[in-house]
Parts: sequence; C-alpha cells; structure tokens
Amino acid sequence: MFSETDKPKMRSAAWRVSLWGTLAFAFGTMIVFVFLHQFVSSDIQRRSDAWLSGEVEVLGDVAERTPKDALYGRVVKEVAELASKEVPDKQKTPDALNNSVFFLQTEPSGSLALWVGEGDGSVYVDAIKAKNVSPDIPSDLHVKGRPIPFRVVSDRLDNGGAIYLGLSERDELRVLRNLRFRFVLLWLLIVSFGAAIVFYTTRRMLGHVRKITEAASLIGESDLSSRVPTTRRRDEVAQLAFTLNRMLDRIESSVHQLHTITDSLAHDLRSPLTAVRAKLEMSLTGSVGSEESDSIVSAIEEIDRLTEFLNKSLDVAEAKADALRLERVEIDLDETLRVMIDLYEPSMAEKGLRIKLCSAERTGISADAALVHRMIANLFDNELKHLPASSTVTISLRSQDAMALLIIEDDGPGFGPEICSHIFESRVKGRGSNGRGLGMAFVEAVVRAHNGNIEATNRPEGGARITIALPQSTSQQESLELHEVALDK
Amino acid sequence: MLYHSRMRLLLVEDEVEIQGFLKRSLSEAGYQVDTAGDGRSAERLATENQYDVLIVDLGLPDQDGITLILRLRQLGVTVPVLILSARRSVDDRVRGLEQGGDDYLTKPFALAELLARLRNLLKRNSSAGSEATRLRVLDLELDLLRREATRGEEILSLTPQEFVLLEYLCRNAGRVVTRSMILDQVWGMRIQPDTNVVDVHIYRLRGKVDIDGHRPLIRTLRGVGYVLRDR
Repeated sequence: MFSETDKPKMRSAAWRVSLWGTLAFAFGTMIVFVFLHQFVSSDIQRRSDAWLSGEVEVLGDVAERTPKDALYGRVVKEVAELASKEVPDKQKTPDALNNSVFFLQTEPSGSLALWVGEGDGSVYVDAIKAKNVSPDIPSDLHVKGRPIPFRVVSDRLDNGGAIYLGLSERDELRVLRNLRFRFVLLWLLIVSFGAAIVFYTTRRMLGHVRKITEAASLIGESDLSSRVPTTRRRDEVAQLAFTLNRMLDRIESSVHQLHTITDSLAHDLRSPLTAVRAKLEMSLTGSVGSEESDSIVSAIEEIDRLTEFLNKSLDVAEAKADALRLERVEIDLDETLRVMIDLYEPSMAEKGLRIKLCSAERTGISADAALVHRMIANLFDNELKHLPASSTVTISLRSQDAMALLIIEDDGPGFGPEICSHIFESRVKGRGSNGRGLGMAFVEAVVRAHNGNIEATNRPEGGARITIALPQSTSQQESLELHEVALDK
Repeated sequence: MLYHSRMRLLLVEDEVEIQGFLKRSLSEAGYQVDTAGDGRSAERLATENQYDVLIVDLGLPDQDGITLILRLRQLGVTVPVLILSARRSVDDRVRGLEQGGDDYLTKPFALAELLARLRNLLKRNSSAGSEATRLRVLDLELDLLRREATRGEEILSLTPQEFVLLEYLCRNAGRVVTRSMILDQVWGMRIQPDTNVVDVHIYRLRGKVDIDGHRPLIRTLRGVGYVLRDR
C-alpha cells in the first residue's frame, strides 16, 4: 500500500523540507556574501585611492621643483617608475600592454608632455579628455584598447598643465575574482552538505511517522489489539505514537464494551427464546395435524424470524460502530453465487421470475463466509419478495481495479422515490413490504465491514440496480498478474 | 435407532428451565441423561463417569464453557462435545474445537436439530469409514456411485442438486431434518432466509419422488422440518 508513496521521493515531506530549508540557507548566505563583497571591494579601492593620492602629490612636487630642461623628463619618469614599483601586491604579467601603472603630464593646452607607461600615451590623453577628469578626486578611466579600467588621480601644475597617475584595477579585480571563486566553491559545498544533512534527518524523523501511519492503517476493522511502534526518545514523533496508542486503547475498550453489551443482550434474549421454542416444539409433537398445531407452528416460525431479526439488528449495530467481527477466509464469489442461485432458482421460477448469471471466472475475495452468504441471501430474498411476476433478475460479477464488482439488476418497478435516497438506513422499507426493513441495512453493514462500496439506483430503462464492490483478495490479484504475464509471453 | 438406546450423556446447562426440558426431551429420545448446573460439578461428573457425549452451554455461572472443555481434555476426557452458545458469533476457540470432532449449536435451536447433531457426533465417534455405495429406504434406492435414484422399477430423473438433497434425507430417514440443517448440509450455508426457498426444493423433489402408485415418502412437519418415512 505504501510502496507507491515510496517511489517518488520528490513528493515526500522530507524532500520539501530540505528543499525549502536549503533554498533559504543558500539565499541568506548569498546576501551576506554580497555585503561582504561590497565592503571588501570598497576597502581595496579606498586603499589604492590613498596610495594614488599620496604618489600624485609627490610626483606633483617633483614636477614643480625640477627645472624644465632636458633632464626633467628623465627625472620625473624615474620617480614615476619608482612609484609604480611600490604598488601593493603587484602581479607580474607577460602582457606588457596592461602594465599596472601609468604616468602622464599634459601641457596647459592639453597635449601630451610626458608619458611613462606601456604603449602609446595619446590614447590615454584622449580618454582623459573625454572623461574630463577632475583634479584630486580619484575616478575610473576606461581606455580604448585596454580591457581593464584604470583608477586615475590628477594634480594641477602651476604652469597650467596637469599630471595624471593611473593604477590598473586589474589586481583589485583579481582579488575580488578570487574571493568570489572561493566563496562560490565553499558555498556550494556548504549548501549541498547542509541540504544532505537536513534531508537525511527529516527523512529519518518522518520515517518514524511513516512507520506509525503504516502500523495505524493496519490496525483496522477487526483487529484493534495491535499498537503503533514507539521509540524511546521523548520528541514530538514519540508523543504522536503515544497519543495514537492511547486513542487506540480507548477505541478498543469501547468496542469491547459494545461487544459485551451485544453479547449479553443476545444471551439474555436467546435463553428465553430457546425455552419458549422448545416448549412449543414439544407441545407440537403430541398434536400434529390438529387446528391447534397451526397456531403453534406459526408461533415457532415467528420466533425463528425474531431470532434472525435479533441477529441482523446486532450485526447492523456493530457494523455501524465499525466493530463487526469478521472471520476472514478465501471465498470464490463466482461459486458462491452459483450455489446461491441454485438454491433460489426454484422459488423464483415458482413466482414467475427468471434469474440470469453473467460471470466468467473465479473471483476471489477474503471475507467472512457466513456474513457474505447471509448478505447474498438478503439480496435474493428482497428480489423474491418485491418483484412482480415475469420479471428478470440479472446478476453479473466481474473484476475491476482490484475490486470484485457484483451487480444485481432487475426489470421490476425499481425503488420507490420515498426510499431511494436512504435505502440503507435501518427500518427503511418500501410500501407494501412486510419485512422489518433491516435487510438492506444489513447488506450495507456487511459490505462496509469488508471495506467495500454499495450503491442502489434505479436503472434508466426501469428497474433497480444494486452495485456492490468488494476488495479482491491478494492471491487473486497475483494470479491475475501471472495470467497477464503468461499472456504477454 | 439402536445405536443410542443405551447412550449416556452429560448435560451441562445452568438455566433450570432449559435444563429441564432438554433433559426431558433427550430422555424421550432414548438417552440416559445426567445434568450439571456449573463447571465444577460437571468436571467431577465427567471424570467419574464414562459418557458418550457432553452437551455444554458456554455461559456457566462459575466458569467459561470453553475453559471447562479444555480442562476436561487435559484430564484425558476425550468424548465428543456439543456446544450450546447463546453468544452472537461463534468465537475462534469454538471453531478450533469443532475441528477436533466437536460441534456447536446457537440458541435458540430446534430440538430436532439438537438430536440430529447428537446423532452425527455419536456416529462420527463410533463408526468412521465403511461408506455404503447404495442407500435404500423402503422401495427408494440410491446408487451413490452412478448418482442414480430408482423407485421400484422406475428411474427418477433428478438434477445433481436434487440427488444430493434426497441423499441427505435418505441418510436421515425416519428422523426430522430442519430447514437450517438442509441449508447447512446440502448447500453448505448457515443462512436463515425469510422466504420459502427450501420448501420449494422439497416440493419439487416430492413431485419427482412421490410418484403415482407409490407410497408418499417425504412428509412435512410444519414448523419443524421434513422427514423421510422409513416405515
């Protein structure tokens, strides 16, 4: 029964809990990381900006003091190169184009005066012009042909020109990239590890719940003595098992009480009935054939009917409380129906009724034989009592979705409108019926006790139809499956 | 009815009224009857005397009838037991005993049925085996192997079911069989239909067996059952 829910783990609660838990955890850590990343990147930028500002001041100073002769360019260049070597955490790359530092000085007119750095300085000047770099405030500079932007700080010279010191953001970006890479690696590891732990703990916990459910579903109609498994721990699951068991104790005791009541009621009524019946029977032996005997005979028959009524009432009462005691055995419904039809056919023929059976094969159910026999007898008695002459009763039996489907149809007047909706209630009987109205309630009680369904309707073409579905026994299903396998081959 | 002319049985029943008439009717049927009103005296009687059958009511004042039977079995009393029960359903333990050669009857019961079950128990106990292949009651003869029934020279055309019914009546010739006994033994069902299904079967059978020119054999005892005349 539970193997179906076992297979798709996706639908289990453990799966859902771990999925949502993992998502929340992953999302949370991601947000934390974004803040951290922001902080680290702004801190790195602040440091490089501080270095740039310091250096540009020194360079500006040098540029101011150094006389503008032929040596000027070399002096400033050397100072700038020295400065570029001080770049923190500098990485050596074979790519000369992307050296991490550049220095340039412009004329008051804006044209290039001095260039320290790789490649052609004029593209940098163009970029600076386009960007309109303001002095003393560090800003990002995207240079044409350079994939990585520069951080640029400028200083005005007294002659109206300006110096620019640029630091490639390559190293900064590399640090951040490393940070991100490591984070993602660790994050994936932690998230999947956490998800696995959450999944296995919840599954283990819910496994206990599932065991309890399985055990509880097996404790059923007739067997109330078993209990769900308990664990030694004092958690919510153990509490659930404990509560369930307490509830079962109470149900068992009330069902037991009901049995005691019905048993003693039956006993108290049956003993006097036994005495009365025996007395009548004994007085009958002396006076066979006389007029007096007729009334004795009808009294005996009345007692037999009363006994059967008593049995049925108590069965219906117990079934209504889901407390009918079943002695399950393997029954072949097909065979039972054939015997029953054999028994009833003469009486039906006598009344001008015809009875037909449409059933092809063995249909096994696991049921209480005596109750099923009485159930079918009740159904047949009903037809026999209520159908007008020359009607036909059609009994069909077939298997459908692991259920044995028993359909009893007739072409009589059908159920009256006054009883159609509550035919299975005790004491509901059709007009002109001389029974005590327990028959159908008893039939329904038996069907319910066997976990089946019953439906009573009027056929559209006229007549009544009673459909009974009873679960087939497992051995029957297995044999059917074997049969199908054999057919496949 | 030779085989129970000297039969001795112990009736264990606490209700005086039922005990009284049961003793009377069992005595009338030719049994020698001892009675006990509770489990303890029943145990004493059953161990001191040699009985052919015990009739035990399940609801005894001092102990459960089943307990008494199990106790007697332990003490080596192996006679067959007919259990009387006023309980609603026959519980597992009674079924277990039934398999061991005992029988049960739920109250209220027909006296005829009680007597029939007693006879069955005694028969089972005394002569197992030796199945006859032919049954003969007056001029009615049943060939059990060929499943053929004849009345004098005439062959009766019976359905298989009618043959089984007639066979059952023949085996109990001269004794009353009730409707519920017929349902139980011939159709294998313990049901109590509130329609005349058994009567119609008997009526049909009678139409085939009690043919003109022969003495009618199947008699109806209204309110009780049927009997196949053997005299």
